[in-house]
This record gives sequence, structure tokens and C-alpha cells, in this order.
Amino acid sequence: MSDSELTMTAGHGALMEESPYGVQSKKLAMWLFVASDAVTFAAALVAYGFLRIGSPDWPRPFEWPSIANGLVMTFVLLSSSLTMLVAVRAAKAGLKSKAIQWLGFTMLLGIIFAALHLREWFHMFDEGWGLYKNPTGGPVDFGAAFFSVTGLHLLHVISGVVAIAVITLGYNRGRLDSNHVETTSLYWHFVDIVWMFVFPLMYLMNAR
Amino acid sequence: MATDQGPSMTTYVGIWVGLLAIVGIEVAVTYQHPETKDLLAVLLILAFVEAAIGLLFFMHMKYERKVLFWTFVPITLFVLLMMDHVWADAFRMFSLRLLQ
Repeated sequence: MSDSELTMTAGHGALMEESPYGVQSKKLAMWLFVASDAVTFAAALVAYGFLRIGSPDWPRPFEWPSIANGLVMTFVLLSSSLTMLVAVRAAKAGLKSKAIQWLGFTMLLGIIFAALHLREWFHMFDEGWGLYKNPTGGPVDFGAAFFSVTGLHLLHVISGVVAIAVITLGYNRGRLDSNHVETTSLYWHFVDIVWMFVFPLMYLMNAR
Repeated sequence: MATDQGPSMTTYVGIWVGLLAIVGIEVAVTYQHPETKDLLAVLLILAFVEAAIGLLFFMHMKYERKVLFWTFVPITLFVLLMMDHVWADAFRMFSLRLLQ
């Protein structure tokens, strides 16, 4: 009997049918969350697109160092997805210490990403950019859009690191199992996928 | 479970390298300085390709039951398409500001 069948029928005998999706309820809930969060990010990016199209003198503030920083951030986040995949495989294979080790690498990469992100932000603050500030004298919408979209993504990365830390602790203590690790990995990969839109649209489209 | 199946680590590393290569292409195209609308089209197409790869392989959608895909993906895409009614108003704002 599969894990999903075990979950669905535990304590209820044959009264409950297996999930038509063939996944555990917590994983299905994560898919629902991911779908709704995808729409949230899409709405934020559409709002940014709306502001940008409507502004004839939209600024392009990013020089090569900022783009290079974004490239490093992309490398770090994509690598964290790979380490997360290794962690899930190890957890599924019952290799607990290996899984915890790779979850640790994933968290470390998430923290590096957040640190690089904040470094970029503080550099922009030093140049005079802000939520409602534009040092070039053009529309202030750029700061509002940039810091909102990247801030929302950064919040997701930080939340993801915290979630992985909680799952790792629970998994280490035997309170949680490999399915919890797998469900958390869905969220982490989603955050990675969102960055695949944020980097080109927020950085590359605004490169000089 | 369906998710016990899946690609080997070699395949995952190959996908990771492929995604990095796509990001490299995005940066290379950007510094060719094409027209904004052309750049946007290329970047969006590449971003959707990356998202599809991530969804299918990293998130294991390819190895789940088809009903999961057909439940979530078309509905999410439909909502994303429904957001696109705002562009006409954005271009109207652009024209109005040019007249000011």
C-alpha cells in the first residue's frame, strides 16, 4: 500500500478512497499553496509591467556589477535546488545524516542568496534609491516596483530557510519523515522558479 | 508513490547546467541591446522554458499522476491570462503622458 493510501485510510478502514491525485494531503496542500502564490507573484509582476509601460522615462539603473551580482544570486539559488534534490533523495533512501547534511547546505545557500540580495539593496539605498525615491529625477515607480517584487521574493527565501530549519530539526528528532522533507522541497523549488522570472524582468530589463 | 520514481542525479545535474546556460543566454541577449519589446519577448520565453523544466523535473510534476498537472497548470495559466487585460490601459497611460 502506498504512503498516500496509508494516510487516507488510517483510522477509517475502507471508508475513505485513495486520493485521486495519488499524493498525501500535505503535498496536495503545498501544490495548492504554490499555485496561489504563483498568482500572487504574477500579479506583482503585472503591476510592475503596467507601471513600466505607462512611464515613458522609465529608469535603467543597473550597471554590470549589479547584473553580475544577480548572476551569482541566480547561481546560488539554482544550486540550492540541486542540494535540496540530493537531500530529498537521501531522505527517501533512509540516509538520515546525509539528508540533514544536504538540507544544511540548502539553508546555507539560501542565507548566502539573502545576504547578496540585501547587499544589492543597501548599495541601491546608498545611491539614493528607495520605495518612493529616484535619484535620477525620473518616475519614483521604479523603486516601488523593484523593492516590492524583490522584497516579496526575499521574504519567501527567508521563510523557506526557516521552514527548512524547522523541518530539519523535526526530521532529526524523528518527529517528521521524508515526506515532510519532500513537501518542503516543493516550496523551495517554487521560490527558485519565481526567481527565473524576477531576475530577467527586474534586473535584465533594467540593465544599461 | 509516484515521486519515488524520478531522474538520476546525473540527469538533475544536467538540468541544473542547462538552466544555468539559459540564464547565461538571457544575459548575453540583454547585452546585445535589442529593442525593449524584443528583449521582453525573448526573456519571457526563456523564463517560461526554465519554469517548465523546474516544474516538471525539480518539482517532479512529470512523475506525478497526470490529473495533478491537469488540475493545477491550466487553471493557473488561465488566471495568468486573465491578468493580461490591463495592458491596453497601460499603453493609454503611456500615450497620455507623452502628450503632457
